[in-house]
Amino acid sequence: MAYSLRWTGMRIFLATETRVQLHEWLAIATGSLVQAALLVFVWVLDPTLLPLTVIGAMVYSVFLIGQRVLNEAAYIRIDHKLNELYHASPMSPESYFLGMSLGILIAYTPPLVVLFAILEFLHPMSFAATGMLVLALLGIWAFSASLGYYISTLFKDMKTIWPYSSLLTNLFGIVPPVFFPLSVLTVRFPWAWVPALLVPTSSATALIEAVAGLQTLSPTEYLVAGGSLAIEAALMLLFGIYWARRTAREV
Amino acid sequence: MTEEALRAVDVRKTYHTRGAPAVDALRGVSLTLRKGERISLLGRNGAGKTTFLRIASTLLVPTSGTVEVFGHDVVGHPEQVRPMVAVVPQEGKPFYHLTPREQIYAYLRARGIDRETAKARVEEALDQMGIQEVADRLSITLSGGQKQRAMVATVIATEAPLLFLDEPTIGMDPFARRGVWDSLRRLTNKGCTVLLTTHYLDEAEALSQRLYVVEGGRILVEGTADAIKEQVGGTLKVVIPNGAALKEELASFGKLVSDGGTVYVITGPERINEIMELAMRDRLAATVGPVTLEEAFLQIVGRSIDMDEG
Repeated sequence: MAYSLRWTGMRIFLATETRVQLHEWLAIATGSLVQAALLVFVWVLDPTLLPLTVIGAMVYSVFLIGQRVLNEAAYIRIDHKLNELYHASPMSPESYFLGMSLGILIAYTPPLVVLFAILEFLHPMSFAATGMLVLALLGIWAFSASLGYYISTLFKDMKTIWPYSSLLTNLFGIVPPVFFPLSVLTVRFPWAWVPALLVPTSSATALIEAVAGLQTLSPTEYLVAGGSLAIEAALMLLFGIYWARRTAREV
Repeated sequence: MTEEALRAVDVRKTYHTRGAPAVDALRGVSLTLRKGERISLLGRNGAGKTTFLRIASTLLVPTSGTVEVFGHDVVGHPEQVRPMVAVVPQEGKPFYHLTPREQIYAYLRARGIDRETAKARVEEALDQMGIQEVADRLSITLSGGQKQRAMVATVIATEAPLLFLDEPTIGMDPFARRGVWDSLRRLTNKGCTVLLTTHYLDEAEALSQRLYVVEGGRILVEGTADAIKEQVGGTLKVVIPNGAALKEELASFGKLVSDGGTVYVITGPERINEIMELAMRDRLAATVGPVTLEEAFLQIVGRSIDMDEG
């Protein structure tokens, strides 16, 4: 029983969190401003790169959603102490973590739908490419939300937490090949495909772009990208659940 | 279910913080709550009240000792304890972007309470806390006291068998405080058990069947408000301004406390006439009044601090 998962209250908490987030519609809208600005720049500079940029923008947006879990979980715990209300109740810690993470994902889905519509207009996606897009984005969400939840529990002050969110977003969203193709990197640094495909955001981007026919991956690169994304997302999600259970009470 | 709602035995908690000396927040707390009781923990800031509440509600693991809620160990089987408890956290706030009505309903549903029961309980809790008229406003627009009432309403609506309330009426006006008291009385009449912490000693006295005075992580005194007042030497006090000259004679009537030239005699009702006659003999004014719980608290805790410092 100790390792079995309990989902009491998750559906309701998910709905609660979605409703809370939807009240902050401005945050949802402004969360896509950087990505939108990049699309404009690329459209002006080299419109042929637009489909790659839109995919990068989607991956980046989903990683940001995970980082909103960091801020929300920390805010609820530090400022409102609502975590105590929910942890001292029949609702399980895993329901709390996943309810919050999924609720934020749902609330922040509309900008993703807009980006997908733009992508469809620029580069019609096959059924396989759409499937890969959804799977890869879910993997990024699982990774980022779990990482965000973990970091949210480490500090007792919101001001200490803010820089971590920014650091992670840049580390996973800007530095690796998310907004630019992997091939740009490997031309200059041939060895760079390995670390790039081990980073979940760039492996997701490479997989989506490859299945959509926007870039070429060798079978080995497919294996490394797919394997690392799947393993990292699954392990991180399991760790997030473990951590949620562990931190439901302080030691 | 056992008749004991909560049993704590020799609970200790030491906080270790990197770069700082260890802090013994609890140093062997033992207490028992019977089903249907309303009990208050009284103590100064940092006395250990919140630490105990958090341990008992499964939110914090003790360093040693045991706490059982309805016979279930809070450390070994928190998942069995959690459905039976509900907590108003200290300085907790509702979701700012939900209305009180939405927040209470969502919380009850998350606890597994069915729709119809949840709806009925929401209305009842809003009525009891007097926040019906702001029930459909986003909590961010409410005053501090209204937000606190929304938090208390959220928890009392659960009707959980054991309720923990950490300073539940902080920031509330006197009417709202009495609303909380009435709600808690109603809940205990239904069979719920309530453990609360408060700094309002009138609240503790009006509401609690028993009190525990906590200081330095230990329980100093336990009992009814009257029993605790008895511990300082009596339930009545005679105040004699300019009575310093009578101190020697007054000493035989009860416990003396001097404050400048004013002498306070803590005593029982049987000695009042004699003290008043003595004061009248020397043409000194004297007034009689009850010893308040606050005075008893200050005496008991002050004595403990003196002993620790000594």
